[in-house]
Amino acid sequence: MTQQENNADESPLVRIRGLRFRRGSRWIFDGLDIDIPRGRVTAIMGPSGTGKTTLLKLIGGQLRPDAGSIEVDGQNVHALSTPELYRLRMRMGMLFQSGALLTDMSVYDNVAFPLREHTRLTESMIRKLVLLKLEAVGLRGARGLMPSELSGGMARRVALARAIALDPMMIMYDEPFTGQDPISMGVLVQLIRRLNDASRITSVLVSHDVAETLAISDLVYVISDGRVVESGTPEHLQHSGGEWTRQFIQGLPDGPVPFHFPAPGLREDLLEAAP
Amino acid sequence: MTHLLAQLGAWGLNGMARLGRAHLLLLPLLRGLLSILRRPRLLLDQLYSVGVLTILIITVAGLFVGMVLGLQGYYILSRFGGETALGLMVAASLVRELGPVLTALLFAGRAGSALTAEIGLMKATEQLSGLEMMAVNPQHRVLAPRFFAGIISVPLLAALFSMLGVAGGWMVGGGLLGVDQGAFWNGMQEGIDFSDDVINGVIKSVVFGFVCTWIAIFQGYDCVPTSEGVSRATTRTVVHSSLAVLGLDFVLTAMMFG
Repeated sequence: MTQQENNADESPLVRIRGLRFRRGSRWIFDGLDIDIPRGRVTAIMGPSGTGKTTLLKLIGGQLRPDAGSIEVDGQNVHALSTPELYRLRMRMGMLFQSGALLTDMSVYDNVAFPLREHTRLTESMIRKLVLLKLEAVGLRGARGLMPSELSGGMARRVALARAIALDPMMIMYDEPFTGQDPISMGVLVQLIRRLNDASRITSVLVSHDVAETLAISDLVYVISDGRVVESGTPEHLQHSGGEWTRQFIQGLPDGPVPFHFPAPGLREDLLEAAP
Repeated sequence: MTHLLAQLGAWGLNGMARLGRAHLLLLPLLRGLLSILRRPRLLLDQLYSVGVLTILIITVAGLFVGMVLGLQGYYILSRFGGETALGLMVAASLVRELGPVLTALLFAGRAGSALTAEIGLMKATEQLSGLEMMAVNPQHRVLAPRFFAGIISVPLLAALFSMLGVAGGWMVGGGLLGVDQGAFWNGMQEGIDFSDDVINGVIKSVVFGFVCTWIAIFQGYDCVPTSEGVSRATTRTVVHSSLAVLGLDFVLTAMMFG
């Protein structure tokens, strides 16, 4: 039995049950149930505005749900005290869409930051670890640069090196491929898969880039209107008979998700006097 | 009419909610003192960017304000033959009022707006969220050092302002207008009371530093994380800080000298 199969036998690392969350009067999630298995790459997909980033913030305890529960490694995230939540976060990494690098620090200091904050390692030990993490993302040579000197793809790789600095049990990726050129995208796709397999990290990938996400995911959840529309392996989704999933996966302009935003008839609109 | 009342009500409720959030932020800011004591380097870095970088504007402003005081004071006092009281007038004006007040206003414009913009941009670029997800409390790590740096810097800058103002008054009064230098300094020495004037001026500047930095940090932390939101927050910092300083100055003056 392989390691991956062993991991699959264990309980899910993240268990979301009956999640309800709203912004203003709009329900973003309305009874969401998701299991994220250990040691796998799990993708959460859906069109823009479906609350994918919000879901990561709920898992990380940055937002509180209106109802339902989120358990990470058996701990109910929103029942934890602040010190307990911070201890849990030390075992979680998050790659933000913007990279979220600290702009007043160099690449080296950004990656060293969590080590300096949470460990009592000597500077020489921190140096070795930082260089190893930067080597893993191919940017050891860029350690002296400032974030403003990095391209978007490089910034995300540095942020990834920082996210794995404390060897977390899971990493959450928020739209890692958005706005990347094909080369950077290819590098990130490879990195996410390689890091997951090499370190047996649980990866949660939030994205609407279909081809790249399906290429590296073990399990995919497609969400819309606050619920899971369909879930399964990438192969299963690619051959799905569901109209909604087919429209999303194949990028069809019209279908259950209409091309037009709801509006009165064009004739009435054109004939209506200007306000 | 109903719409207008509803808007007025919403405006009032928003204002009260904002005031509540500002007060809720104070507790973690004060708690952040513990992390500063563990790592004083955080405070030193902020003392540089909040305090040291404001020295130039304080120096220039203090000197010119003192020179204007010397000039105006001389013209008024000379009508009554009281030029010898010029030193006392310049020093009392600066130590009691103009030093703390103008320093706080300049601080709000230079350092306060910079603090708001910096914190607002950190929020907009998810740096604060990033810190939270790295299990680092941004209120302790980012906000508290800036808060205490502001409280420490303003009284020191106010002292510098007053000192340079007195020097400016002396340059004009003693140097250009021919006021007797012995009378200038002697009048100041005899008329200025350490506890009534100097200590009260220091208390004022500590209060102004506290309020200006608190407003600046809160506006940055509470802003809408967009370019327009940061811009509005920066404007609010300068306007609110200036009004708070002027209002508090009246209250404190009435309490101290009334």
